[in-house]
Amino acid sequence: MADEDETKEYRWESGYEKTWEAIKEDDDGLLESNVADLVARAKRKRAALKDTGAIQLGMMRHLFVVVDASACMFLQDLKPTRFLCVLKLLEVFVHEFFDLNPISQLGILTTKMKRSEQITVLAGNQKKHIEALQQLKDLSCEGEPSLQNSLERAMNGLKNMPAYSSREILVLFGSLTTCDPGDIQKTIKSLKDNNIRVSIIGLAAEVRICQEIAKKTGGTYNVLIDDHHLKELILNQVQPPAVAGSMEASLVKMGFPGGSPIVNDGTSDSSADHAPAYCLCHIESETSSLMGPNGYNCPQCGSRYCELPVECKQCGLTLVSAPHLARSYHHLFPIKPFIERAQVRETTHCFACAKLFVEAETNVIIIVNFRLCLFYHSLPFLFLLKVYECENCNQIVCLDCDLFIRETLHTCPGCASDPVTAQMKTN
Amino acid sequence: MLELKRALDAKGHCLLEMPSGTGKTTTLLSLIVAYMKAHPLDLTKLVYCSRTVPEIEKVMEELRKLMNYYEKEMGMEQNILGLALSSRKNLCIHPSVSKEREGKVVDGRCYSLTASFVRARHAADDAVPICEFYEGFDAHGKEFPLPPGVYNLDDLKEYGQMKRWCPYFLARHTITHANIVVYSYHYLLDPKIAEVVSKEISKTSVVVFDEAHNIDNVCIDSMSVKITKRLLDKCSNSITILETTISNMKENDSKRLEKEYKRLVEGLRDATIARETDMALVNPVLPSEILEEAVPGTIRTAEHFVAFLKRVVEYIKTRLRVQHVVQESPAGFLRDIHTKVCIDRKPLRFSAERLASLIRTLEISDLTDFSPLVTVSHFATLVSTYTKGFTIIIEPFEDRAPTVSNPILYFSCLDSSIAIKPVFNRFQTVVITSGTLSPLDMYPKILDFHPVIMTSFTMTLARPCILPMIVSKGNDQVAMSSRYETREDTAVIRNYGNLLVEVAAAVPDGIVCFFTSYLYLETIVSSWYDQGIIDQLQRHKLLFIETQDAAETSLALINYIKACDNGRGAVLLSVARGKVSEGIDFDHHLGRAVLMFGIPYVYTQSRILRARLEYLRDQFQIKENDFLTFDAMRHAAQCLGRCMRGKTDYGIMILADKRFSRADKRSKLPKWIQEHLKDTNCNLSTEECVQICKRWLRQMAQPFSREDQLGISLLTLEQLQSEEMQKKIQQRAQGI
Repeated sequence: MADEDETKEYRWESGYEKTWEAIKEDDDGLLESNVADLVARAKRKRAALKDTGAIQLGMMRHLFVVVDASACMFLQDLKPTRFLCVLKLLEVFVHEFFDLNPISQLGILTTKMKRSEQITVLAGNQKKHIEALQQLKDLSCEGEPSLQNSLERAMNGLKNMPAYSSREILVLFGSLTTCDPGDIQKTIKSLKDNNIRVSIIGLAAEVRICQEIAKKTGGTYNVLIDDHHLKELILNQVQPPAVAGSMEASLVKMGFPGGSPIVNDGTSDSSADHAPAYCLCHIESETSSLMGPNGYNCPQCGSRYCELPVECKQCGLTLVSAPHLARSYHHLFPIKPFIERAQVRETTHCFACAKLFVEAETNVIIIVNFRLCLFYHSLPFLFLLKVYECENCNQIVCLDCDLFIRETLHTCPGCASDPVTAQMKTN
Repeated sequence: MLELKRALDAKGHCLLEMPSGTGKTTTLLSLIVAYMKAHPLDLTKLVYCSRTVPEIEKVMEELRKLMNYYEKEMGMEQNILGLALSSRKNLCIHPSVSKEREGKVVDGRCYSLTASFVRARHAADDAVPICEFYEGFDAHGKEFPLPPGVYNLDDLKEYGQMKRWCPYFLARHTITHANIVVYSYHYLLDPKIAEVVSKEISKTSVVVFDEAHNIDNVCIDSMSVKITKRLLDKCSNSITILETTISNMKENDSKRLEKEYKRLVEGLRDATIARETDMALVNPVLPSEILEEAVPGTIRTAEHFVAFLKRVVEYIKTRLRVQHVVQESPAGFLRDIHTKVCIDRKPLRFSAERLASLIRTLEISDLTDFSPLVTVSHFATLVSTYTKGFTIIIEPFEDRAPTVSNPILYFSCLDSSIAIKPVFNRFQTVVITSGTLSPLDMYPKILDFHPVIMTSFTMTLARPCILPMIVSKGNDQVAMSSRYETREDTAVIRNYGNLLVEVAAAVPDGIVCFFTSYLYLETIVSSWYDQGIIDQLQRHKLLFIETQDAAETSLALINYIKACDNGRGAVLLSVARGKVSEGIDFDHHLGRAVLMFGIPYVYTQSRILRARLEYLRDQFQIKENDFLTFDAMRHAAQCLGRCMRGKTDYGIMILADKRFSRADKRSKLPKWIQEHLKDTNCNLSTEECVQICKRWLRQMAQPFSREDQLGISLLTLEQLQSEEMQKKIQQRAQGI
């Protein structure tokens, strides 16, 4: 990356930092590790919160991501710069987001020079967003951000979304100040009236107004410790949030375009479905080319799309495929929360990852991406004092596996491997 | 609590330093109330002195909570009466008088409606206005005591409205039998007020001085007198009024004056009796010797006394006509007044008493006009009573404006123990407490008492929620200091500016900066402006400055809070020892960081201070430098403590001066700050400091809830009773 090299300075010119201290235990007390402890506990709490059973989850989400592009995003406390780091993580986020929420939509805003700019409109096409994010890397960061302007803009975009969808804003906020044209309290109030949930991730320190916005709109506010933690925080937003009470349940009209690529065997009822046509998502761009017969046709108006899920540009119908819906489906039936226990003597291994439960003698904390936990069998790490037990199968797993099961697998390995319980479930 | 109990058992005085936000008030209240319940004979009353009206209200809230808890746990009404007392201004419910803004005016108008002779006149003539609330109270209120409960100022007013009784006089009356009284320092320390209000508080009381780190200054202020030329001119006016009133009265009603004369011959015998029976608090303005004597003949008649006053005032006027600074002892002053205008010491001594008596006799209802004259009479009494511990300084002009003649006579008290001595002598236990009392051993010396307990407590915290740092140099390695020699150095000023800019970029919401003086603040800000630092600063946060004007400052404060609330962030530049540093809390986001630019030494060229230092050296063997450092550090600590108001709060404390890292300065910080001040953070450059700030702020921003504190800084009942915890507490108690 060329621009990365440009911003790079000599080591002695860059900021004074004590990188070793991030993993170091404090000499004079447990305070440092206490903080890490708090993080772990918060993680667990979040998981527990979501698992309270019969809460309704917003399966259809409309989310605006607001990226701070003010001068402070050029700081290098995240490598290579805050801005680039955030953009990179956002790419991962966009990918994961559509993976878990296939029928949701996303839009991207930036804020700088006291203004707010729209980068992408609300859309369900992840390629477009990722492309836009990659282009953003060349953007120069300058001026002050405006929280109010960007929230207003996002609100205007979200206001008209159907009531059954969950409206959300995610702000990645690096600055410690906001330059607003008016009273931000009014904005907060109208956000609340519109049922928009604002979650904020701070990149520097706790700012009161962010705390307040998040609290009042029912979102979360977190501040990162380092880039691993940031990744974790951003990816936490992938999980659909519990619905704030007032959302109405309603039937949604959806189209399921015939999916299979067509062989011209004449079985198809209309030949127009497979005639070469412009893909509607790319029709505006210069480089659009005629599509082959492969693609998805809207069952209502017949427009063609290269990708699903998408909202039909012609008739506004939501086009999805059945697997997408199925993937969103598991959000509705989360597995029951595991019970936290002090370490039990007889079980020495985690049932899921077969790792030893080590007594916490060394307080070394390694923040490992929990997603990879299963593949890290051999690492001799972890300070496990607490283990987790499944209610159904009574198998014991470690904290990381607990989170992995909850957030990725969505099924308990104990229950699934036990023929009796598995049978019961299918029955 | 343990220490406090020991002090109560020993019936001695104690000195406790407890960080703010650790439940200081609750601890004191709950233990003392419990003690009162357990030993009703040993301990009958709690007098809680605080500084400002909001603080008084806070104490009342705590007390109410405690009482509710008692009621819930014990299941019955508690027989405890607690009440707050404040000035007439805060308690008046008279429809027109209460509209007045100024305390003095309210007092004056109240007096003109409630003085006994006014009421007598009202009885004869209905047209004379009186206060119906006072009448109501006088008629019925004295027989029916206030039912037990907790009354803050508003409750008193409400109760007064309901019964149509004057809440002020009701409260004053109730003090004598209430169990818990909460009021301002001055009611106990200022001899003029203490005489009226606190006289009859029983000996077996506990007196608590909260936020008492400045108590010696309060004592000194209450005993010092400042006389300006304008004040003397006003005196002359009031003397003329006195003269005319006297001559009028002579024509109309000479009997009354005769009566007064007779009474004066009998002397102040009543007061003597009262003191012998140990009824009243000793009044330092009224020394015991004069009680035994009759008022001297020379000033017994009203005309003579007025003439006498005239002479005194004229004499002081001539003394003010000096071209150079004069400093002399009270003895020298007395000798001089004797030779020049032939006034003896003895009549001078009685002047305060005599004037009060005269005003009573003359039935002058508007007291406000006479306050200058009262001041002069107090001065006369004090100067003739005390030969030690006071000094007189006459300055023909201010140091800053040597050309403008503005003569001022300072009669300055040098010994803070004079005013507080009666309090220590009378009450069995006096508790002095504050968040910042270090170094503790200084207070017993300057207040001249012997505490049985002297302890500094620290906080037990679940996370390191304060980050004290000493920044000694800038990025260019130039040492930062507010020393006189380097004060004007642009490099130092620039470094201070850079420090502030970088901290402002790293710290969210509110930052409070303290400078050593208004003068220094002004010079620094103007050179920052030239260097472009102000512009840089305003990119991150808005800038507010405390000025000497109270209205301007409070406006700045309101906007500062607004800026912090809506996320723009703000920097407040203020002055140590100013209004901001003393009374205003910057909790949570209002004060995420405090910067102390330089060490806030007092203005050492002041003659009053020099005289006091000399006195301290001679009398108490306190070195000048020790006292100056002590005074500077307690103010620095006070400023730093502004940002920390509870266990969930967190804040950065930056001491930007090379000299702070010296052992003599560092060791004088309160223990709870020292505990967190690591050696590695004692000699930082700007950049290092900012790095540490950033990392620490991220840690502090992690979610922190009640459960996290449980077991460490917050204990449940089970945890408290567990054996392990008991052991820990025992250890800690012995460790202290």
